[in-house]
Amino acid sequence: MIEVKNLVRTFKSGDRTITPVNDVSFELEQGTLASIVGKSGSGKSTLLSLLGALDKPTSGDVLVNGVSLAGMPDGQLTEYRRRDIGFVFQQFNLIPNLSALDNVMLPMEFAGIRKAARQERARHLLEQVQLDPDKHVRRINRLSGGEQQRVAIARALANAPKLILADEPTGNLDEQTGEHIIELLSSLSRNHNTTILVVTHDRSLANKTDRRFRLQQGQLTEEAARSRIAAASPA
Amino acid sequence: MSVLARSIGNAFRNKVRTAAVVAVLAVAIGLALAMLVANQAVAGKVAELNASVGTVLTVNPAGGQGFEGGGEPLTAEQAATAAAVPNVSTVVGTKALRLRNAAEVAAQTGTQAGAGGPGGQGGAAGPGSQSATAVTTSLTAAVDAGTLGNRNQAATGSTGTSGSSTAPAFSVPVTATGIGAEVDTTGKALALTQGTGLGDYTAASTGALLGTTLAEKNGLSVGSTFTIKDQSFTVAGLFDAGTAFGNNALYLTLPTAQTLADLPGELSTMVVTVNSMENVDAAKTALQAALGTDKADVSQGQRNLQTAVSSLGSVKNISFIAFVAALATAGLIILLIMVMLVRERRREIGVLKAIGAPNRTIGLQFVLEALVLVAMGSVVGAAVASFASGGIASALISSNTATAAATTGRRGQGFPGGVPGGAGFPGGNPLGGANQLLTSVTASASPGVIAGGIAAVFGVAIIGALVPALLTARIRPIEVLRGE
Repeated sequence: MIEVKNLVRTFKSGDRTITPVNDVSFELEQGTLASIVGKSGSGKSTLLSLLGALDKPTSGDVLVNGVSLAGMPDGQLTEYRRRDIGFVFQQFNLIPNLSALDNVMLPMEFAGIRKAARQERARHLLEQVQLDPDKHVRRINRLSGGEQQRVAIARALANAPKLILADEPTGNLDEQTGEHIIELLSSLSRNHNTTILVVTHDRSLANKTDRRFRLQQGQLTEEAARSRIAAASPA
Repeated sequence: MSVLARSIGNAFRNKVRTAAVVAVLAVAIGLALAMLVANQAVAGKVAELNASVGTVLTVNPAGGQGFEGGGEPLTAEQAATAAAVPNVSTVVGTKALRLRNAAEVAAQTGTQAGAGGPGGQGGAAGPGSQSATAVTTSLTAAVDAGTLGNRNQAATGSTGTSGSSTAPAFSVPVTATGIGAEVDTTGKALALTQGTGLGDYTAASTGALLGTTLAEKNGLSVGSTFTIKDQSFTVAGLFDAGTAFGNNALYLTLPTAQTLADLPGELSTMVVTVNSMENVDAAKTALQAALGTDKADVSQGQRNLQTAVSSLGSVKNISFIAFVAALATAGLIILLIMVMLVRERRREIGVLKAIGAPNRTIGLQFVLEALVLVAMGSVVGAAVASFASGGIASALISSNTATAAATTGRRGQGFPGGVPGGAGFPGGNPLGGANQLLTSVTASASPGVIAGGIAAVFGVAIIGALVPALLTARIRPIEVLRGE
């Protein structure tokens, strides 16, 4: 379970103070598929960074299964990211001189998984995101944007994390592959009890999540998820 | 893919840049290794010189004046007195003979009748020349008097012989030295290249040790015979003194030389070895007092070599400083390269941290990458050093010892010919073969020295790579990712 309590993040920009995340509080049950929508620059990516321990809040706290990230030393935060978090970055952030397979294997290497096991799992994950097998050993810089996005999603799933934070995961994918990725994420949250928080501009993706949030001027408000409402509404 | 494999891959990410980096590193590392090799070679030579020459005193008869002779000869009793002086470890007496064959004697006699004596290249002032006795031999000298000797000879001939159109060629005598132990006139052990020594040097013997060039000139080898004063001698061994004049010589046992000179018990010089360098000055004073200033002159070979040896010492210091400077340069190059690489790959470091890479893994990856570059630079640098170190060492030594050698060479002009210097031929240079000795430093790249140098470079590389990588890895991932 993720608990966010009064989270604030401010930046100094010259004489100005910017607050992209302003007193945000919410809870996510394990296995929830949630989305955050909002305009560009509304603080969506900043909030994701705070939840993933890539950044530290100015105030407030994030508790993961009751454990506070605020007082955690850097070494434990690294372990938290390695064990519990899977990131899908908007810019993919793959290592360009490595192959797709090596990129997916990296988090498993850091987790101390043996080479044969990580190689097998990496191949399986790349097949799940529908990357052609002949492209598994191709260098990242020789793959298209959509293919790189799929490799990034496969890498996020590498260590079977409890929480996946995805920044525009379908932004570079065609409609069909995007649909497939949404299905994959839904299946993960339902079948593997993985909590998934997606930042997206894509209304159709947001509409398929269990909970939908809107971030506006640093303030988070929850919108009811249509599918869930529809499913819960009496006929 | 392991960290090592990833580091090797990263090292070759940009091949042109990698080649440039390796070339720059190779020059710096090569220079550092060459300086280290030169430093070790010079240090070895300084130790060798100090050990062989630094503790040796030479005793000559008082009042010796080059080839003109002078003073009372030294005696066996004086040798016993010298041996009793505190801190003296050994005393070796020598008896010098000048050998000429019959043809040379005849030519020389004719010349002296017309010219009033040869000037030659500073005269025939050899070791103990003031008391050296001329003796006939079947040997022919291996050293040509050369243009200067013959020109001087012609000039002196014309002044004394009116109407003489040609002067006989001046010839260099063969130096024969009777020795009381298997050492040369500087107290240094003879470097035998063939055969054996003479056994007991304090007993009469028909064996002789010949310089290599003298043996070659006369077609002699170990077991061959030749004559001195119509007495047959057998070549027991050949030695290499390292100089042309030094090799135009032969050694006999001391009693044999004294018998040939018809001067039993008489010594030309005494080579006195002091137990340590610290006691040389005190032993010299005590020795001079014990023998009497009117009977013997005690000189210190180390004094004459001091300037030159200190020159070598400065070469050693210069080469060490240059090694440290080159090593620091290599370290700085690595540091700057790694700072550049780390800055260039800040985003990658941020991503690695975001997906759970510990700081030590990131640091290790960059250290291994630096070590791959340094390893390639070291291989090329070691090859550069193996070719360049000899030349660099020679250049350093020759430029630093030239002045000192010139100074000590001039100082030697007024010394008796018997001052240690081996051949002690033209001019009676007190250094004799020392200049050659000083400049004959062999800069060999021993595996230990190369390994030590490369270990130092690797150590610097590890620090150079670790510092920027860890500094970057300590930053929060978002700062790096957002910065892009």
